[in-house]
Amino acid sequence: MNSTGSGNKLGSVIRACRLIRRMLRADPEARQSQFMYYQMLEDYFTRVLRAKEEDGFVVGHTVFFPAEIIYAMGLVPMHTETATWTMALFTGDCSDILASGARLGMAQEICTPHRGLTGAFASGALPHPEVMLWSNMVCDNTAKSGELIMEVCNCPGFFLDRPFKRSQHEIAYLVSELEDMVHFLEERSGKKMDWDKLSEIVARMDRQIELVRQINELRKNVPTPFRPQGFLELLTVDYLFPGQPEALEYLETLYRELNEAVKVGKGAVKQERFRLMTLFIPPMYLMGFLDRISREYGAVSVIEPFFTFWGEGRLDPSHPLESVARKSYMIPEMRMYGPLDDRALGAIVNCAEEYKIDGAIYYADVGCRHSCATIKLFKDTLADIGVPMLVVDCDVVDATVTSEEEVSEKLQQFFELLEDR
Amino acid sequence: MTEQHDQAGKLVVLERFRQVNRSFPKTKEIMEWRGSGRKVFGWLCTYVPEEIMHAAGILPVRIVGYSREVDLDDGNAYMYVNNCSFARSCLQMGLRGEYDFLDGVVGGSTCDGARRLFDLWRSYIKTPFHHVVTVPRKYTERAHALYYQEVLDFKSHLEEHLNTKITDEALYKSVQLYNESRGLLGKLYELRQREKPPISGAETMEVSNASFRMPKEMFNDWLKELLNELKSSDRFYSGRVRLMLVGSVLTNAEFVRFIEEQGGLVVTDELCTSTRYWGDLVTFEGTNSPLEAISRRYLNNFPCARMFPSEERFNRIVKAALGFKVDGVISETIRYCVPYAHDLPLLEKRLGEHGIPMLALDVEYGTSGSGQIKTRVQAFIEMVEARRR
Repeated sequence: MNSTGSGNKLGSVIRACRLIRRMLRADPEARQSQFMYYQMLEDYFTRVLRAKEEDGFVVGHTVFFPAEIIYAMGLVPMHTETATWTMALFTGDCSDILASGARLGMAQEICTPHRGLTGAFASGALPHPEVMLWSNMVCDNTAKSGELIMEVCNCPGFFLDRPFKRSQHEIAYLVSELEDMVHFLEERSGKKMDWDKLSEIVARMDRQIELVRQINELRKNVPTPFRPQGFLELLTVDYLFPGQPEALEYLETLYRELNEAVKVGKGAVKQERFRLMTLFIPPMYLMGFLDRISREYGAVSVIEPFFTFWGEGRLDPSHPLESVARKSYMIPEMRMYGPLDDRALGAIVNCAEEYKIDGAIYYADVGCRHSCATIKLFKDTLADIGVPMLVVDCDVVDATVTSEEEVSEKLQQFFELLEDR
Repeated sequence: MTEQHDQAGKLVVLERFRQVNRSFPKTKEIMEWRGSGRKVFGWLCTYVPEEIMHAAGILPVRIVGYSREVDLDDGNAYMYVNNCSFARSCLQMGLRGEYDFLDGVVGGSTCDGARRLFDLWRSYIKTPFHHVVTVPRKYTERAHALYYQEVLDFKSHLEEHLNTKITDEALYKSVQLYNESRGLLGKLYELRQREKPPISGAETMEVSNASFRMPKEMFNDWLKELLNELKSSDRFYSGRVRLMLVGSVLTNAEFVRFIEEQGGLVVTDELCTSTRYWGDLVTFEGTNSPLEAISRRYLNNFPCARMFPSEERFNRIVKAALGFKVDGVISETIRYCVPYAHDLPLLEKRLGEHGIPMLALDVEYGTSGSGQIKTRVQAFIEMVEARRR
């Protein structure tokens, strides 16, 4: 099951980031924050590859994992699902890593980001981490992914068990789990946790969340100032750079840019016609097309309740580990993980009303069971307040599931429907 | 072909169990219970402690879907096709009013399908009481403490809802009753360790299905009768190979019968409707508290694929496979049952280390076996038989 794991696909991602930055330089409309974003991506993956070359300690971790701890210990994080997504986004083809996952015996039922991820490790498309950390945030795929990755990469791992609800005893359990994880990392890496550094990171993370909230406030404006699919930048920055100085710099720059645009009444598209709510992640391989069609129809995503709309609460740097635990209950996606009760559904309704939504688009990833099971519930919830919802069947990574033509037809029909209303 | 040598072949009590299964959910026994003014609760996963409900005077029954192949139009509409057909099947039955007699529904945060089933049930099926138990994925002392707190919270919620007190004495009695049931099912399985067991795998599933569909008091009495019948019977089964069945939730005994018709005698299993349901007893080691003992048993029980580390599940599968002298293992994974799908590569490797071959089948809940499955099962049995020679 083992292979060397040279990380050749990350090299492609890094080269693509460089190319995009060159293209942005030639674009008079490009914003400084966009340069910064692609520079950050390039630096992130370069750091991973360099760590492998220089005997550094790379920590693989699944989505929503508290990477603050990895940063505070001076280790190099590698967000595994984002690595798979960015490979799909920048190379446009993931068939080889999916085939590699299938060769390991991974069933079709396993979502493509995880099948592709383990396949990427097995084929050497991703470098092998020194340790693997994973958790049950946000689904069974994340919860079950770690053990096979440990086998494939021949590395030790730690499973972080994050409780389902948010009672005091559940938060206390998670704090203890995090303590165990710190001990595990200390033992394996030989590095000690720098608690002061963790406090600094938590303080910055608190500021980071506040900045996203402020950016969202700006997005409430009509016309909205942020690019049609710009929210993916916010998401990726949150995933890869929690509490990192470059994340603050990026968000502050973005905030200034958007604020300036709001002041002069400049929207993200020439004529804003449709204000959209995006539910779940669009197919990565169609991002360019989605951007084009959004501009063509004046359709802009102004809020994403499960990606950018943080839950209530602040982080307390004087209790860094508890803050990291509490943050896991504030993450927008975690509305989907805990009981889907009135509170979670209420957030969708509030977003629809506060952001003056015309319609919602639900990207139904065929491999994502726990999200797709909410389609009817969300559709009914939004219908109660008169907001129509389009469902686009797709796969976030696998380009064979749906075509640009199919998505285009559906979106055009939906925009016509919105126009008629 | 499985052989059967017996005077009559029919077991009187087995027919009674079959009648319960045929008429579920609205069985005579459940309706009589409810008719006498007592409450019936549905539970969604084996990590929900039944004894708590029983001690409150409630009849706990397991919510399952159609144990046969049916179109899941409503299930698909409400839950989307990429959720496991078990969850969709359960939801469809609920939406169609087949569980409209339930006074409460209790779920666990066990897998994506189960928690979404619970969410949709709560939103669209207006059962009066709902509770979801957080179930840790580890077995550490800390995980036990958290789960105990969850069980305590569930008990408190129930007491508040019913305006009653669930006493330790009532819990002790419920534990005794449920342990008796587990012990009796254990005896039934012991018979299957024989070279020529007196009961087939399909028949055993019919018994275990009934165990969570009727009052335990009655079930235990019937099972004692069945064990006596089997003791005095000269019936036995044999097959070309001895098999163990592992994987996703399964209630269709016809699927097991189908395997046995191909010549593989199913002598044991690792299913949450069978061994993983009754496998471990509640014990009072190191505690006098029935609630603590119940809590410990449910978290430590023969694990679901959701638990970590998976080695615990694999070890227990290997132990059972060796104990029942199986020649091969058939794994049935319901499509989109992700926890079991993830385990397949590692489980196959572990079984292989003990020389036990495994066939991995992708199925839909309720299936009784069809062309492609038949071909694969036949080929597997032939392969296993050839290895044994």
